[in-house]
Amino acid sequence: MADEKATHAVAVFDEVPEPFSEDVVKRRLGIGFWVAISWMVLITALALLAPVLPIDGQNVIGAGSKLSAPSLHHLFGTDSLGRDVFARTIWGSRVSLSVGFIAIAAGMLIGGPLGIIAGYFRGKIDAVVSFVFLSLLSFPSLVLALMIVNSLDRSLKVVALVLGILAIAPIGRLARANTIVYAEREFVQAARVIGAKDIRIMVREILPNVLIPMGALALLGMAVAIVAEGALAFLGLSVKQGATWGKMILEGSDIRTLRKGTYVAMAPILVMFLTVLALNYAGDRVRSYFDVRETAF
Amino acid sequence: MRFVLQRVGQLVMVLFAVTVITFASVNVLGDPLTNILGPLARVDCTDVYAGIKPDTSTRGGTSEGDCAIIAETRKEFNLDSPLPVRYARWVGDISTGDFGTSFQNQLPVSTVLKNKLPVTLRLVGIGLFFSLALSIPWALLSAYRAERTFDNFSTVASFGLLAIPNFAMGVILLYLFAVRWSFFPTRYEPAGIYNQLKSLFLPGLTLALPLAATYQRLLRTDLITTLQEDFVHMARAKGMPAHTIMTRHALRPSMFSVITVFGINTGALLGGTLVIERIFSIPGLGTEIVTAIVRDDTPVVLGIVVIIVTGFVVVNLFVDLMYSFLDPRVRRG
Repeated sequence: MADEKATHAVAVFDEVPEPFSEDVVKRRLGIGFWVAISWMVLITALALLAPVLPIDGQNVIGAGSKLSAPSLHHLFGTDSLGRDVFARTIWGSRVSLSVGFIAIAAGMLIGGPLGIIAGYFRGKIDAVVSFVFLSLLSFPSLVLALMIVNSLDRSLKVVALVLGILAIAPIGRLARANTIVYAEREFVQAARVIGAKDIRIMVREILPNVLIPMGALALLGMAVAIVAEGALAFLGLSVKQGATWGKMILEGSDIRTLRKGTYVAMAPILVMFLTVLALNYAGDRVRSYFDVRETAF
Repeated sequence: MRFVLQRVGQLVMVLFAVTVITFASVNVLGDPLTNILGPLARVDCTDVYAGIKPDTSTRGGTSEGDCAIIAETRKEFNLDSPLPVRYARWVGDISTGDFGTSFQNQLPVSTVLKNKLPVTLRLVGIGLFFSLALSIPWALLSAYRAERTFDNFSTVASFGLLAIPNFAMGVILLYLFAVRWSFFPTRYEPAGIYNQLKSLFLPGLTLALPLAATYQRLLRTDLITTLQEDFVHMARAKGMPAHTIMTRHALRPSMFSVITVFGINTGALLGGTLVIERIFSIPGLGTEIVTAIVRDDTPVVLGIVVIIVTGFVVVNLFVDLMYSFLDPRVRRG
């Protein structure tokens, strides 16, 4: 450690060397990131285009024989009602992806400002907001989701918003922690010295810096929300209308269907796995890409 | 001591907030009277008492009128008092061990908890055991030759494991080891300790695999740091065999962050078994609370939430205290 410090001290007086080509390579997002993003773009495009794609409707019963193995006509086989699993996986992605997206958007819109305000002003506001976050985190999240969904209704809107409420606390805590760090930095103090108002400092100085770690968390959080929809489906409380990945896995997981038509469960599991993997990986890459401490020592 | 009191105070506040939220939401979002009596609760008693409508009982064979039954039920379940009074009374009852009576089958909630909690605790225990039994050797092997083939492979593997949702993992394990090869039963078999352990093997593994991946990542990082310490070089210079250095010297000082996360996860696990219990049809707390929520069985929901949140809070307090015991800097900070 001491040696490194010494060389740095010398470097201050020396000419600033050109960054090594290796360092430049290190700061790339990497091919894996772009593969992950491509998968997300592909699955989103399929979800958006589902009505115009040449696939069966999601509820066409008896499109093929029951529980048939994958074939050219039915890429992922058919389920116990003879519905095409491939078509239903694409239709299901519409619900699963929009639940994930709306939940995280809601979590960021509420948790982000709360966290920034708490971290910027500290004091009593911070104490109250932090306590609310802590209480939300102490609650068994799936139980809370179940209770709300059960007493309201099982529409897409309710399921997405419930998962959004659950996203508030983690996102808010991250925003708060980052705001506390940035609020002490020179550029914020400089803004304060030239007489910028609090609201302007929060929006123009702190928000752009806090948004990056929040973006990374949002990618990870979207994966969590997609999984949570699946968990809700398993407990019988996911979105009522239409196919979702969670509901498809549930339908495919009874012993008879597992034995005769393994594809019914495994196809949506595979698609969900790849989506969660892509979101996790992309989130992880974004985080370490912008985490300056990790690369520049 | 001040630190301990502060943490205890904070956690009591959390417990208070969570129970208030739960209590209020189950009582406001759903009508407890309807949940107990069904359609009978809709009889308009103001009209009956005013003599506008006749008080005829829809329950065959009872001489009592509908409104008498409603009044009796209201009294029995304390439904007439305002919400804060009912909350205070409920907390008072709980402190004496009385969790109320289930709306559905009139059993005391404490009996329900006594029957279901051990099953869930056993499942969580097996899951925790597996998670440590898998992650410690795995981390030792990958840290021993860091950044080599095995380590790189296990980095990919643990990333993959973390991306499999627990219900998907459950379905995959159920398919492979219970349906395709019938090593394990597909349903929970309560008879005898051997059958129970056999039925809990796959659910325990489902619970353990993502945890094992998390612990392996943490332990591997800490081990790699520890292996650069002087005392490890010293041991190696003495000619000590590598496995002795890994297990006897390097493992213990590297366990710090794993212990912390282990504690936090353990508290959360009690509420995290819902889906797994469902897939493997295990009659535990998770299955019970889902049924209770769907049937609006308020006392059971509340009782289980209290148990889960208390478990979470107590385990977290314990971890915090452990932490400050192991690292005095936390106490002063």
